[in-house]
Amino acid sequence: MGIRERGYAHWEGSLQESRFSWWPITRQGINLAFQQRFFKLFFFLALFPALFFIVGIYVSERLEDFRHMIRGPAGFLEVNPSYFKAYFTNDFFLFMLVMVVVFAGAGLISDDLRHNALQLYFSRPLKKSDYLLGKATVLVFFLSLLTFLPGILFILIKIIFSGSFKFLRNYPSLIGSVLGFSTLLTTFFSFYALFLSSVGKNRRYSGIFIFSLYFFPDVLFGVLYSIFRNPYLSLLSIKANLQQIGAYIFTQKAPYPISCFYSLLIILAILFSSAIALGKRIRGVEVVK
Amino acid sequence: MSIQVQNLHFSYGKVKALDGIEVNLPQGAIGLLGPNGAGKSTLIRILLGFLTPDRGEGKVLGYDIRTQQRMIRRYVGYMPEDDCFIPGIDAVSFISYLGELSGMPRKEAIKRAHEVLFYVGLEEERYRKLETYSGGMKQRLKLAQAIQHDPRLLFLDEPTSGLDPQGRREILELILDIASKKDIQVLISSHILPDIEATCSYVVILDKGRVVAEGKLSDLKQIDYSLYEVKVKGDTSGFQEKLKLMGCKIEFREDGLWRIFLPPEVDPQIIFKISAEEKIQIRHFVKSQTSLEDLFTRVVGVD
Repeated sequence: MGIRERGYAHWEGSLQESRFSWWPITRQGINLAFQQRFFKLFFFLALFPALFFIVGIYVSERLEDFRHMIRGPAGFLEVNPSYFKAYFTNDFFLFMLVMVVVFAGAGLISDDLRHNALQLYFSRPLKKSDYLLGKATVLVFFLSLLTFLPGILFILIKIIFSGSFKFLRNYPSLIGSVLGFSTLLTTFFSFYALFLSSVGKNRRYSGIFIFSLYFFPDVLFGVLYSIFRNPYLSLLSIKANLQQIGAYIFTQKAPYPISCFYSLLIILAILFSSAIALGKRIRGVEVVK
Repeated sequence: MSIQVQNLHFSYGKVKALDGIEVNLPQGAIGLLGPNGAGKSTLIRILLGFLTPDRGEGKVLGYDIRTQQRMIRRYVGYMPEDDCFIPGIDAVSFISYLGELSGMPRKEAIKRAHEVLFYVGLEEERYRKLETYSGGMKQRLKLAQAIQHDPRLLFLDEPTSGLDPQGRREILELILDIASKKDIQVLISSHILPDIEATCSYVVILDKGRVVAEGKLSDLKQIDYSLYEVKVKGDTSGFQEKLKLMGCKIEFREDGLWRIFLPPEVDPQIIFKISAEEKIQIRHFVKSQTSLEDLFTRVVGVD
């Protein structure tokens, strides 16, 4: 059919104002993430610790049935704040969170910058905050599936298997700890990844930045700590800082004998500077001053 | 008046992009003309609220450009100059997604996406990933996303750039068709004069951030100067000088034809008088029609 044969036709509907104008951005971001093979692989792998810990809760409730399979004391199977801390701060789990944000987050803004798509967004009745919220919620969604959801699920499964609320009565602050640390992890990694995604126009480089800025300071900390044995060196590592804060939130002994306040300060500094820099990076058009 | 701007100033650092722009644009198809760097795109970006003017006021569709940008964007469609798309999705998803962001309900946005893709001639390619599109297809896609939410005002920034003659003709046909709807106003920014002549009834010419001419195309083409095409033989240096002293402008064409623009107060007979004084022969003398190009040449001073 020729392009002129139909003629321009008006749309009969009316435009709506929504408080959730960021939602289509989130939905699109989630769909695009699931189109990536590596994302699906890493996201699936990232669910493994949760499955492992759920099995642990089941075994802890049926300890007598499994006694013949366990050698030595079974204290590690006791479900308490330490058990939750072990889930939320273990190296593999944090590494998988980073890999998930690498694959889901690296292209969120860099792809828009590369293909000049920001002007398409901002020529719509969208605010910068709507755009950023829509993009951030993509990461919040995936990270919540790995933090909030398992944390709450562990508590529910423990209650169901034990058949009483004694567990919650014993550890009344546990729900708060789960929500608090999940919020910290989710917010931190979302802003961290979004900022690094906005730094360049190439999603690969952004992915490398996200991974490197997490991984290499940790390696540096490991090397320097093995030489100097100074616990303050842990402040260099994002992972060590998160582990320090995690230990505090779950009322456990910190891995390094320094105040977790310093770690919190560093994580919040990275988070807020990422958020501020992100706000400055995002413009409707490239403006050369 | 759908676009009103008063004393608009904008600078990129020390470079003045807009220097006291004043325009009141009526309904219909409007051409925004000017050489590269004249401030056309900057003006559109300010009207859309992408950039905040240093000074000045303006209204688009009655909404203030400083405080009501979201309302403006709700009713305006924008086709940017640069290639822009979202990779990894097909055209239907892309267009419906942007429709949703404009405030269309999802189902309506998907239905309308099919319609506009049919309209711009991308019906066969609507399920292809956007990164596989050719330059011409991307240009149509940009037009499709601009009309998806049925805007009341359409900003088209260099809509035919990078197109082959066939693609250019088709895009101009579409623009003409859209502009023929009395309730959609189209503002086309371009430095391609024939595109503006083919589609617009009203023209604003910008140069170095200022409005150098504005008005109905038919009126502007009746520029004060009368145009004569002349071929001469002999030593022409004195002839040229005397004509210039009379306030005439001369444009030399490659085929040896001179295009002489005479101010209204100058009698065309003067050409013959001067040629007699300078002892040169006039081999060809025709009164010609002035075009938009002539107007552009006169006000902007470039060919």
